[in-house]
Amino acid sequence: MTAADLVIVLLGVVAVGAGVLVVATRQLVHAALWLVVSFGALAGSYLVLTAEFVAWVQVLIYVGAVVVLLLFGIMLTRAPIGRSEDLDSGNRIVALVVAVATAGVLVTTLVRGFRSAYVPIKDRVGSGSSHTLGGSLFQTWVLPFEALSVLLLAALIGAIVLSRTDIGGAGPEPEEEEPEPRRRPAAPRGTVARRLGTARRRATPDDEDTIVLSRVDEEI
Amino acid sequence: MHGYYGTYLTVVVLFAIGAAIVGGAFLANRALRPHRPTPEKLTTYECGVDPVGEGWAQSYVRYYVFAYLYVVFAVDAVFLFPWATVFSAKGYGYVTLGEMFVFLAFIAAGLAYAWKKGVLGWV
Amino acid sequence: MTPVYMAAGDIPTPHIEYGRLAPVLIVLGAACVGVLVEALAPRAQRYGLQVLVSVVGLVAAFAWTIALGIGDQPHHVAAMGAVGVDGPTLFIQGTILVLALMSMLLIAERRHEDSPFTAQASTVPGSPEERESLVAGLVQTEIYPLVLFAVGGMLIFPAANDLLTMFVALEVMSLPLYLLCGLARRRRLLSQEAAVKYFLLGAFSSAFFLYGTAMLYGFAGSVRLSEIAAAISKQGGDEPLLLAGVALLSVGLLFKMGAAPFQAWKPDVYQGAPTALTALMASCTLVAAVGGVLRVFYVGLETLRWDWRPMMWAVAILTMLVGAIVAITQTDVKRMLAYSSIAHGGFLLTGVIATNKAGLSSTLFYLAAYGFTTVGAFAVITMVRDAGGEAGHLSRWAGLGKRQPLVAGTFAFFLLAFAGIPLTSGFTGKFAVFQAAMAGGAMPLVIVGVVSSAIAAFFYVRVIVLMFFSEPLADGPTVSFSPATATAVAVGAFVTLVLGVIPAPALHLAQSAANQLFVR
Repeated sequence: MTAADLVIVLLGVVAVGAGVLVVATRQLVHAALWLVVSFGALAGSYLVLTAEFVAWVQVLIYVGAVVVLLLFGIMLTRAPIGRSEDLDSGNRIVALVVAVATAGVLVTTLVRGFRSAYVPIKDRVGSGSSHTLGGSLFQTWVLPFEALSVLLLAALIGAIVLSRTDIGGAGPEPEEEEPEPRRRPAAPRGTVARRLGTARRRATPDDEDTIVLSRVDEEI
Repeated sequence: MHGYYGTYLTVVVLFAIGAAIVGGAFLANRALRPHRPTPEKLTTYECGVDPVGEGWAQSYVRYYVFAYLYVVFAVDAVFLFPWATVFSAKGYGYVTLGEMFVFLAFIAAGLAYAWKKGVLGWV
Repeated sequence: MTPVYMAAGDIPTPHIEYGRLAPVLIVLGAACVGVLVEALAPRAQRYGLQVLVSVVGLVAAFAWTIALGIGDQPHHVAAMGAVGVDGPTLFIQGTILVLALMSMLLIAERRHEDSPFTAQASTVPGSPEERESLVAGLVQTEIYPLVLFAVGGMLIFPAANDLLTMFVALEVMSLPLYLLCGLARRRRLLSQEAAVKYFLLGAFSSAFFLYGTAMLYGFAGSVRLSEIAAAISKQGGDEPLLLAGVALLSVGLLFKMGAAPFQAWKPDVYQGAPTALTALMASCTLVAAVGGVLRVFYVGLETLRWDWRPMMWAVAILTMLVGAIVAITQTDVKRMLAYSSIAHGGFLLTGVIATNKAGLSSTLFYLAAYGFTTVGAFAVITMVRDAGGEAGHLSRWAGLGKRQPLVAGTFAFFLLAFAGIPLTSGFTGKFAVFQAAMAGGAMPLVIVGVVSSAIAAFFYVRVIVLMFFSEPLADGPTVSFSPATATAVAVGAFVTLVLGVIPAPALHLAQSAANQLFVR
């Protein structure tokens, strides 16, 4: 076992452990942050496998952009930032059994399929560079690449359609994604603030959104 | 420090040194400072006044579009790197050059739409 | 360091056959024009321009598809092997384009109310802002480019010659649909629930598709369908990696066509989505999904057919039975048609399982026949309206035949076509797929098919009886006529009749399209 093997095993343990914590933690925001750890460990594994470009893409897109998107998604909901006790579903035993069984089947398949396959990594250095990737991307995969831009465009239009209001002259409107606003469970006062290190600022003219939203809250 | 892993080992060592400096500073701080907590000291610092309300705020859905725009342009930028390394190589030529501009044109159409809808303006 | 990737100097310039891809490019180009119209045109002109752009785009793409089909150039793979433009693909693409045009008539409908879609997607249902946007008469014209994006994805999906292109196409076609499902004008909470369900389950199935692709890549060292086929015949088909890959890939594909046991999304989504969009999904998406299934199983996994056949047998039997039996208990028209669509997915699978030319051509014919009938049926549903929108509950349809014999009669005709009564296209289609399945040695499957057709006929006939033989409700729904919807109904009924009475030309077209099988 070389040092590279050892590192990749360690990174794998971190990735899987963080992945388990993503679903096991009782705090939504922490779940998103554990995802960062999991993605980061995956990026590390790509690096060890000499897939340099993919590794940095993983950092840029997943750790950078996608997790930010997820955090924004959480902030849009009325989920409390602290510990929520109702995150566990009643089906969790069944879900656990299904998940473990699926993982068992997939891992067995992969192990059986690739047991004899061994690629000396040292020979593959450079095969994951942006140059190689560019070669195959613009040679073989031109059409999927262009189709991808269509996908991005469609998603962008969709996101704007869902979030924009233009009722003439009505000014900024409070908007929520959740169709049925429910009263958020009252988080224990103080603990939340302390954990986050930031209490809600008091109303100042800069804070228009907070005011609008709190007004909506009171109306409900 | 040569070869593929060697170069990355340098990066890892650099990170380790950085973490050690920050961690060491905090550790030294903790070792040297007096530690006498009171409930007042442990509340959140808010310009010297007692904190009001909770640390929770629901954000505008329109901020989501900013985050999403960031994703779109991150994906966009990621494809520029491999493209930049090959488009002038032998065997690619203007077709490859054009392909990237087609890709960018699609995104630009989306950007034009977002701009006209006033999504890009700060509220 | 694989020499294939590194030797950039020796390779030819990447070459894309724009002519063969033109239908897709036209539709996606029209979608982009639609986005620019949305950005630049004044609000009052947007509706007209968007409809114009969409219709012109779809018609032009269809004309080009016909031209490609008539031109007798030998078919081959295009765009560096990413897509295969061949007889079956052109048939499927043409069908999708015509059905999309018909659905577009329903989507652009504004006689019944301002639009079948919500005035402002971002407003909270029941909020003052929603009322305000309704009063202001706003319409969300972004739906037209989004529909065109989805149609563009549907055109690439059955043509994709490798699993990567197929995945991107799958996403291009699904993403706009997820969104559009949530934009119904009435009963918006139901609609948003449908969108969330569809999105979550769809994302889940995409993950299955990707995992299967990764495993097949691990097995064959390529995602190209032809190379997967070559690897299967070289290495034999009992590799666990291959079998697991095929299983996972099939889950992703079968989900899209709504085959049991992956059918759970269909009734909820078909019910919640705006009916005009349900028409699009029930016709075009099904055609595209079955097209993708056909290509994967006929090109990539044909040499493995003795391994996947038992699995597909089970799926087909389950799909037919679940669709037919659960439909009996439905009280909502759209839900009932959703289960009917599931059952038809099962009939289509019997054609797929035949893995011969007859199976391919009969499946193609069935797709076209079913597509026209289903768009017509959903068009009728948009016409039968209460004060609160469409009359969804079946009890509201009681006695419709006595007050509106023409509309009820047309709907009854569509239902008979779904049931597969002779002189409708449904009969011809079922006959063709069952014949192909029998020739392929799938006799038990045909028996199950006939039995579930009989079960299904029960609830179709029940609706017909309800419409014609019960007393009309005092405050029954009214029928809202409009030229566009009426055109969609008329075309659907006409094609259903023609394919039932003189099916030979269409069958011949499907046979000549299937003659060459898929290119590799």
